[in-house]
Amino acid sequence: MLTRREFMAGSGALAVVVSLPLRAHAAAADTGALPFVTAYLEIGPDGRVTLHSPTTEMGQGTHTAHAVIIADELGVDLDRVSVVTAEPADPFRRGGQMGSGGSWGVRAWYLPLRKASAQARDVLIAAAAAGWGVPAAQCRLERGEVVHEASRRQQGIGALAAAAAALPLPAEPALRPKSELRYTGRKVPRVDLPAKVRGEPVFASDVERPGMVYACARLAPVFGAELDGFDKDSATVVPGVLDVVAVPGGAAVVASNSWAALRGAEALRIRFKPTAHDRLDSANISRQMRAGLADGAQPINARKDGDWAAIAGAAKRIVEADYEVPYLSHAPMEPWNCTVEFDAHGGVHVWAPVQTQDRNRNAAATAAGVAPDKVRLHTTLLGGGFGRRLGSDGIAAAVLTARAVGRPVKFFWRREDEFGQGWYRPAQVARLKAALDPEGRVTGLHVRTAGPALAASFSPQGLPAGQLDGSSVQTIRESRYKPSAFHVEWVRVDQPVPMAPWRSVGATQNGFFLECFIDEVARAAGRDPYLLRRELLAHDARALNVIDTAARAAGWGEPLPRGRARGMGFVESYGSLCAEVAEVSLRDGRPFVHRVVCALDCGSIVLPDGVRSQVEGGIVQGLSAVLGEAVGIAAGGAQERNFDTYQVLRIADAPGRIETIVIESGEPMGGVGEPPLPPLAPAVVNAFVALTGRPIRELPLSRHRFA
Amino acid sequence: MKITFKVNGASRTVEADPEMPLLWALRDLLGLKGAKYGCGIGACGACTVHVNGKAMRSCVVPVKAVAGDAVRTIEGLGGGHPVQQAWLEEQVPQCGYCQTGQIMQAVALLEATPRPTAEQIRAGMNGVLCRCGTYPRIEAAVRRAADALAAKAEG
Repeated sequence: MLTRREFMAGSGALAVVVSLPLRAHAAAADTGALPFVTAYLEIGPDGRVTLHSPTTEMGQGTHTAHAVIIADELGVDLDRVSVVTAEPADPFRRGGQMGSGGSWGVRAWYLPLRKASAQARDVLIAAAAAGWGVPAAQCRLERGEVVHEASRRQQGIGALAAAAAALPLPAEPALRPKSELRYTGRKVPRVDLPAKVRGEPVFASDVERPGMVYACARLAPVFGAELDGFDKDSATVVPGVLDVVAVPGGAAVVASNSWAALRGAEALRIRFKPTAHDRLDSANISRQMRAGLADGAQPINARKDGDWAAIAGAAKRIVEADYEVPYLSHAPMEPWNCTVEFDAHGGVHVWAPVQTQDRNRNAAATAAGVAPDKVRLHTTLLGGGFGRRLGSDGIAAAVLTARAVGRPVKFFWRREDEFGQGWYRPAQVARLKAALDPEGRVTGLHVRTAGPALAASFSPQGLPAGQLDGSSVQTIRESRYKPSAFHVEWVRVDQPVPMAPWRSVGATQNGFFLECFIDEVARAAGRDPYLLRRELLAHDARALNVIDTAARAAGWGEPLPRGRARGMGFVESYGSLCAEVAEVSLRDGRPFVHRVVCALDCGSIVLPDGVRSQVEGGIVQGLSAVLGEAVGIAAGGAQERNFDTYQVLRIADAPGRIETIVIESGEPMGGVGEPPLPPLAPAVVNAFVALTGRPIRELPLSRHRFA
Repeated sequence: MKITFKVNGASRTVEADPEMPLLWALRDLLGLKGAKYGCGIGACGACTVHVNGKAMRSCVVPVKAVAGDAVRTIEGLGGGHPVQQAWLEEQVPQCGYCQTGQIMQAVALLEATPRPTAEQIRAGMNGVLCRCGTYPRIEAAVRRAADALAAKAEG
């Protein structure tokens, strides 16, 4: 639905607002009172098109997908389209908030962007036709020119923009047929890569402002601990250090360059107030979570299909296993930073690498003591997000520091604080039970997970007692497996460790639990785990096609060289079905993945190479978590504070080969950024269990001895 | 303290704490933002630049140690270097934050080992972390760049 259009006086630009049907945008935008130039498909006098995208570009490629959608529907060459991240305004919001997550970047915006482009195209054609005195129906827009073939006339869209802006927009413009789409579905180079490959300053950390100073944070080592006090002189003796400012959770050391700020932060003598969890450690958390699996705990129901008690009572055999996963860090390569500048008119400019624009703009406004519309949030390209930039935990300190020193400030965290400040993927445990009949068929499944509630930590509203935390049962609750009885429940075990969604969120741990358990059940029943999955999915042609495609491409059942084994995982998340088969061995006693085959049914796609790149990334990040990632908690804080101890996968341990099969089933467009990650853990773990015959029920594998 | 060294062919002098890592001298004092801060302990490689042709982690090299040396950064590759071209052809980067370090590491690897095996590529690139998971494409791009450089040398 088109909600606002505006001729941008003086620029000769045609601007069309794009809005999502999910939340109709009405009065606010129509008043013309939008504080910033946002939400527009701008067409400059030179015919260049600038899309203000609702999504944050953090490597997932949505800016390119959006550019392709615009270029195809409007009818311009892709290299004439630029993309910037919009500032928050209604047309960019979903559910009242602007942000990028949940693998929504392409699937949510595909149709709204096409429609807005079609509207712009129609008025550009109408403007040209009126000028020529010919029927609009005889004209078309191709490669940035409106063409009237009969009279051999053509005109560039840049020259038509002003006239087009005065015309009424069609409410329901016709979309181009597939045959006219030049870029959709083809290999298209990403729009953001040339600058990245040249090393141009595209990141928040590269932003420079006149008169800018640098501020390095020194933050509490214990989660949530408050500042008690600091000895300012201990930092200001460092040459270049200008000031020390108290900020939430610690202090900011302000200096004339980054190095002086870092040294000052390290030299600062600082005290924090004690907390109730100063002695919390991983063993403690694990014990509390496992107590949630015991009979006395109070579960919250998440799924109750059939009568588990009756099915279990009648079963020939019950298989049972407990699993556990640790907290994980997002570890984006760019540590948190942003640049803040107060202007002379009461406005605050923030350049920041954030996934949630409203949340961060509001946090900046609160810290600055101004209305949100006084904050100009410039979202840069992100040096990784993965969910870590969904929060707004780093903004207030930066704004307070800039206000205190009265100069533009580049505020940054040391890597040690990036790792130490939390907002992790939750730790979680699970107990799974399967009822088997005499033929070895699964007649019932019972799953209980226990752990801290992600929503209680991450959601600004928290999570009331007694309510289900959806991510704690995500993908198990919705599983397509259909035994006669399927019960899923969750026990809340709150912890003082801050948490945030981590790429694919609850699907990571829950996919691991259920899919490894399916293999354990198959082994107990003496059955092939792929065929057991087929039996549990017999009613579901789409799911069967996905696991069959992966199994076929991987050569499931075919002999392997001695010392190698295969494993499978199948997880549906974010609207897409994904099956992966991993082929593994032990190299010098260490786990190695030779090959991963991925079959992904995401309905339909815009950028085939973009999808492949996200599949590869999801598999590599998934493998990283499986092999070596864990945040250990000791003395109320994180033990791993840098890449020397937090083991992010390196290239030597990357899979030897990744093969991606994209299934365009024609079902509604699904997500792509997250779905390839969850099946990887069970595929790899199941393969190692098949190889060694020994169960693996805890991650990461670095905690297991294979020798 | 005044320290003079060559950056991408031109002589530059910085007034800096001699212990300041080269990374911050490049970024804050010389305005060259291509090398990135990732860890500060030489563990991630996002800050990789060349010193006298060797790949170094500039976050742990004091600026005083490069006095009189030749430093090359991503900005010095010019944009059309065969490694940069290969990176575009393979569409390697995702977020891109580590990629300047990856590219500088790859250039140094290929200067020392023009026709690396798969094992040599993995060993040579192992010091530079990528969180987005672009390793398969990095491997392919290094191979492609090696082929292009070899073809150029023969041609």
